[in-house]
Amino acid sequence: MNEVISTFIALIPVTLAQSLILSFVVLAIMIPFRILSFPDLTSEGAYPLGGAVCAIAMVSGVPAYLAIPLAVVAGFVAGCATALIHLRFKIHTLLAGILVTTMLYSVNLRILGKPNVPLFKETKLFDYLDLGKGMNNLEKILIVGLLMGVVGFGLRLWFMTERGIAMRAVGDNPDMAEAQGNNVDRAIFLGVGAAGGCAALSGSLMVQSQAFVDVNMGIGLLINALAALMIGETILGRRKISQQLLAPFVGSLIYYQLISFCLAAGLAPSDLKIATGIFVLVMLGAPILKGKRNTTRLAKESIRE
Amino acid sequence: MLRSRPALLDVIASWTDPFLSAPRAADSFPNKWAPEMLNITNLRRTFFAGTADEKVALDGLSLSLGKGEFGVIIGSNGAGKSTLLNAISGALQVDEGTIAIADDDVTRMPVHDRARHVARVFQDPMKGTASGMTIAENMLLAELRTSKARLKPGLTRKRLDNYREQLSYLKLGLEDRMDTQVSLLSGGQRQSLSLVMAVIKEPDILLLDEHTAALDPRTANLVLNATLRAVSALKLTTLMVSHNMQHAVDYGNRILMLEAGKVKLDISGAEKKGVSVQSLTNHFAIKSDRMLLGA
Repeated sequence: MNEVISTFIALIPVTLAQSLILSFVVLAIMIPFRILSFPDLTSEGAYPLGGAVCAIAMVSGVPAYLAIPLAVVAGFVAGCATALIHLRFKIHTLLAGILVTTMLYSVNLRILGKPNVPLFKETKLFDYLDLGKGMNNLEKILIVGLLMGVVGFGLRLWFMTERGIAMRAVGDNPDMAEAQGNNVDRAIFLGVGAAGGCAALSGSLMVQSQAFVDVNMGIGLLINALAALMIGETILGRRKISQQLLAPFVGSLIYYQLISFCLAAGLAPSDLKIATGIFVLVMLGAPILKGKRNTTRLAKESIRE
Repeated sequence: MLRSRPALLDVIASWTDPFLSAPRAADSFPNKWAPEMLNITNLRRTFFAGTADEKVALDGLSLSLGKGEFGVIIGSNGAGKSTLLNAISGALQVDEGTIAIADDDVTRMPVHDRARHVARVFQDPMKGTASGMTIAENMLLAELRTSKARLKPGLTRKRLDNYREQLSYLKLGLEDRMDTQVSLLSGGQRQSLSLVMAVIKEPDILLLDEHTAALDPRTANLVLNATLRAVSALKLTTLMVSHNMQHAVDYGNRILMLEAGKVKLDISGAEKKGVSVQSLTNHFAIKSDRMLLGA
């Protein structure tokens, strides 16, 4: 048992850095899913897209601080593609996301030219902060943590503006939002695009953190992000927009520590996926099984009032 | 178009006064309707065209409404009442014809642009509000109907004070529940909120789509009275769909009976004053006889 604990503790910094980077993917799941009621799978393709664009830009000499925005733009375009497919052809959001993700796999391969590309010589974003030897993880934690703070704060401000509130209405009741003069299509483009951008941002940070890009790096990521989101929402609740915005970050931090603990305790990495899947199922299903009585009571009360 | 606030508040205050009955019949309406607010010509819309299920919902319907007019639309199921309202609000595109609101041709204008002219209260209390959002946020959305949402702070203190005041006159206690999700309100409360939201920025045309039909009789009466007061005090140009003949007789200054996608009967002015439910049915029978003879 002691050994498990000490392994787990030794893993905390690296897991923390990783979970901070991946929290942007959780955010990329949350925004369309919870704010726009547009369940979206584009992240699974936008994440490696961001990695590929960033890596190739860096390999060809673009500095990291410019390569990352490039990746974000690519991710935004991918998100817009999903939104376009859904809005223009009335294809279900999930299917639209799968289509884009599938197509992105080929695009990513084209961008990279081969399945994986190393990034050893290039100056990564994390190299701009030098805290001395053995402080690699701390550097990552600080830089990504700062980025996370900026994005989180920015989103909080955005959702307090007129446009941000109008965007939430689009997810809540699109017909009503439209009847109140909001351009529903534009809100969806913006929201789903931003989500793609977030996923790509995560991918671009990840390739710099691990110093290589792999075309398969997004596979199975989505279910992890969903599990993280569920954890965050269970802990914080999601009644208020501030809770909803914080949930991805908190959820990501906790989820990856849990995974790390499972691994430290000796769970085979190959079993992680089924464990995560069962976990998501329980989190999504439990309120339905447990709360059935409560929801009917609530409904009755509101009718009686 | 901005009405001074006290006037609007008086209107809302008078809604809930149980000793005041609704303004009746047509006497409060002038006889001439100077500027036209709504002008619909030759509206046509066919569903499932070219199939066995083909249904002509609007069949060359024409209608015009002067500023401040209050039309009550009646007609049986499938007469085209809802289709007409959907066409006006933009929720439904028409095949042919034109719709102009306040001299602005809106026929091909998307719903979100048309919103600056049109406000609508639906039959289903769920439809008119964003249920997962708070009362204050819903009020903000309504306030933004006539303008573009900007990158500026949404729920400012000043706005919240305004909303609190406006809602307090409803006497439903909503002003103390500004941060409550609308999903927790009763149907009547939601419909009252929808109504405030529809008139908070005076629309060029107010569409009421059987908006009391889903409520219990007492609440329905309350919401209907509130509606009538708001409409008459703010002199809103209004189209109300009702299944209740008595409503058509009692309220508004025009009765528009729809049948098979056309205005079959249009009674207004002095004629409207003499109308009863019985005469309405008779009148309708005579008209159709005449039509039969004419054909």
